[in-house]
Amino acid sequence: MAAVVEAKNITKAFGGVKAVDDVSVSVEAGEILAVVGENGAGKSTLMRILAGIETQDSGQVIVSGEVIPKSDAKASIDAGISLVHQELSLVPEMTVAENILLGSAPTTVGITRTRQMKQIAQAALEEIGVSVDLDERISKLSVALRQFVEIARAVARKPKVLILDEPTASLTPAETDYLLSMLQRLADRGMSIVYISHRIPEVFRLCDTVTILRDGKQISVLDVAKTTPQQVIDQMVGRELKKDLESKRSSSPGHVVLKAVGIRAEGVNDISLEVRAGEIIGLGGLVGAGRTELVRAIIGADPRKLGKVTLTVNGKTKVISSFESAVKAGVGYVPEERRTDGLALTMTVAENITLPNRKELSASGFQLARKIRTFADDLSKRVGLRPPEIDREAGQYSGGNQQKIVIAKWLGRRPALIVLDEPTRGVDVGAKAEIHRLVKELADNGTAVLVVSSDLPELLELADTIHVVRDGTITGTLSQEEADEKRVMSLAAGEQVENA
Amino acid sequence: MDKKTTLTQQMAVAQEPEKAIVERKTGALSWVAQNGIFIFLAVLILVASFAVNGFASLENLTSILNRAAPIGIVAVGMTYVVISGNYLDLSVVAQVATAGVIFLAVGNEYGLFVAALAAFAASLVYGIVNGVAVGYFKANAVIVTLATTYIGLGLLRFFSGGSIFFGNPDGPMEQFGQAKLGPIPASTFVLLAITIVLSILLTRTNFGFLVKSFGVNEKATRLAGVNTDRVIVGAFLVTAFAATLAGFVFAAYSNTAVSTMSQGFDFRALAAIIIGGTSVFGGRGSVLRTLLGVMFVSVLNNILVLVGISFGYQQLALGIIILLAVTLDVLSRKLGEK
Repeated sequence: MAAVVEAKNITKAFGGVKAVDDVSVSVEAGEILAVVGENGAGKSTLMRILAGIETQDSGQVIVSGEVIPKSDAKASIDAGISLVHQELSLVPEMTVAENILLGSAPTTVGITRTRQMKQIAQAALEEIGVSVDLDERISKLSVALRQFVEIARAVARKPKVLILDEPTASLTPAETDYLLSMLQRLADRGMSIVYISHRIPEVFRLCDTVTILRDGKQISVLDVAKTTPQQVIDQMVGRELKKDLESKRSSSPGHVVLKAVGIRAEGVNDISLEVRAGEIIGLGGLVGAGRTELVRAIIGADPRKLGKVTLTVNGKTKVISSFESAVKAGVGYVPEERRTDGLALTMTVAENITLPNRKELSASGFQLARKIRTFADDLSKRVGLRPPEIDREAGQYSGGNQQKIVIAKWLGRRPALIVLDEPTRGVDVGAKAEIHRLVKELADNGTAVLVVSSDLPELLELADTIHVVRDGTITGTLSQEEADEKRVMSLAAGEQVENA
Repeated sequence: MDKKTTLTQQMAVAQEPEKAIVERKTGALSWVAQNGIFIFLAVLILVASFAVNGFASLENLTSILNRAAPIGIVAVGMTYVVISGNYLDLSVVAQVATAGVIFLAVGNEYGLFVAALAAFAASLVYGIVNGVAVGYFKANAVIVTLATTYIGLGLLRFFSGGSIFFGNPDGPMEQFGQAKLGPIPASTFVLLAITIVLSILLTRTNFGFLVKSFGVNEKATRLAGVNTDRVIVGAFLVTAFAATLAGFVFAAYSNTAVSTMSQGFDFRALAAIIIGGTSVFGGRGSVLRTLLGVMFVSVLNNILVLVGISFGYQQLALGIIILLAVTLDVLSRKLGEK
């Protein structure tokens, strides 16, 4: 049978790092192809190239025998490739129908034909078997329903190939079941599906073929019926996966550093927590559960509706009312969005590292140039910035190095509490290990650490205690001994996962 | 823990990508955007000295300096607002006129010292109102300063009755306005002094660093624990103090002041800043280059007058040059991002 969509020898590098390295995939009509790999293996980049959102350095995308022009998203859609994004890309203020037809609404001389728009939207929703009020605003829907609307939007374009990037990341097991059977139905009707996931059981339930990527390279293409989950995992990881018990830190937490009581804020509903000196507290949960909102409300980066936060350093307790007061009291914050919130990309490494430390590096308002240089130099070496050139623009460094710069900013202040939000998102494996080492080192030296992470293995490796957050409240607290992926997930999803 | 660390470290070394840095080809365009002013100004002066009759005379050069001083003082001050990423301060028009009128009206009655106190008090009000509205209340700088321009000019006309003020003949204002060191007017030294002071403030102090840092990335600067609102008030205060000084110099030169005296100062100052290579996107810029931008605009204006080109065409020329400078800025920034 001929391939409906074929990607031939695709290569794409970001700043010298090959995100996708000579990868070829093809999918036939009605076939469900899984693309699996660890975070950063190149799955999403490959799919973005297929959808014409990212430009490949070399290689071709071929649909039904025709080569699609590079980085032309519209040509890809017209040719029949439809991508369901990993991050939800709906407009919250618009209705379901408007979102489904966003950018492709039927018009007469520029005026939207509302009735026809609703018909198309309704048809798309019926095709995937989901019923939602077409006039409801997206902001009123649950995360799961939003995900389904997103799929309806892709299906409304009548694609030959539907690409889904981690569609179950924020779904409960029941919702996941529903999604998988829906995709099966679409495939039975002849639609080809590319399914990106790192959840192996889903792949084995749904897919016909599996392509394994590791560090941008294509490791193998396997027939799902003829392989085992263990085999796939081994190839994904490239090493044998064992639970390393020696990684546990012997923690003996000290006094309570951070005390947050009754925090209420946008998306946060009455949460209290404490972090002790030398302790790493992890916040687990699904994307959109309110973890980022929680930590930002605690440290005053966003306004709080109710609640009191105090920080105790050297026996002195201070109330945290604003972000500025938090930093003064000894808080460091590594934000989720490192490129927009964490760094000034066109400023140098030295300028970025010294930004929160200016008072200490000046005399009556004047900068002490030499002191600034040695300060930045020491810290960039301490966090393992490679190469440690402090006069380079921060934006020239790779993601992992950029994150090290953000951490270096705060290390220099010897923070009593450091809050890290998704500290290794989009970071390569090597830098990730180094960042983990830095975080543990901080805790070993008595810093209280609060870390938000959607990366379960990371959370399990770092945290002494994990609070799981769902819908703005803490649904469970697990000690390091109790915690495993299944328990965290079941608390995060709000459902009892059967114990196997 | 130690064993694990060494293991992960080994992994790290093995898997660390070879190139962690993107070499950026900033290229010629970006260089021209930032440093072109040196060449443009030199070429303009060279060509004018040979080709334009009457340009190279001492009288003419003195007149260029006289005209450049007030607009230059405004421009070096306003560079702070531009670098902070807040586009411009339109209210410099009202600020210069207010200062000019106060220096003459109050100066005639109560002496220069009291007049200076009153003028700087007024600039304090301008700086704080603009800065608080833009910084603390996150209002758009163009709209805010447009409003304060009208309020300021309205108040000025109300109190002055729209009349022209003359300084006492041979009073301290006139004496300063006519003072020269050789062929160089005193106002030129004021321009040089304020340029040096503001340049040091921008490049050597924490405040200057934070203005730049805010211009590059407001969020990251705030999330470093900086009170960014205060930084913005500071940038508008610097602009306001400079505008007041400009009002003094301008009023002294002609020994007259009227509420319409500084019409067009806002955009001419902005032109000088942009031509000097300060980015309208904020974060990148220099007070010294603004000074060169001022000289460029002043020399160009002078040439156009000398060769007898009418005012309308002078405006046209300035408009085209601003457009070119902004295009260069945009293009070099886009290339830099790739």
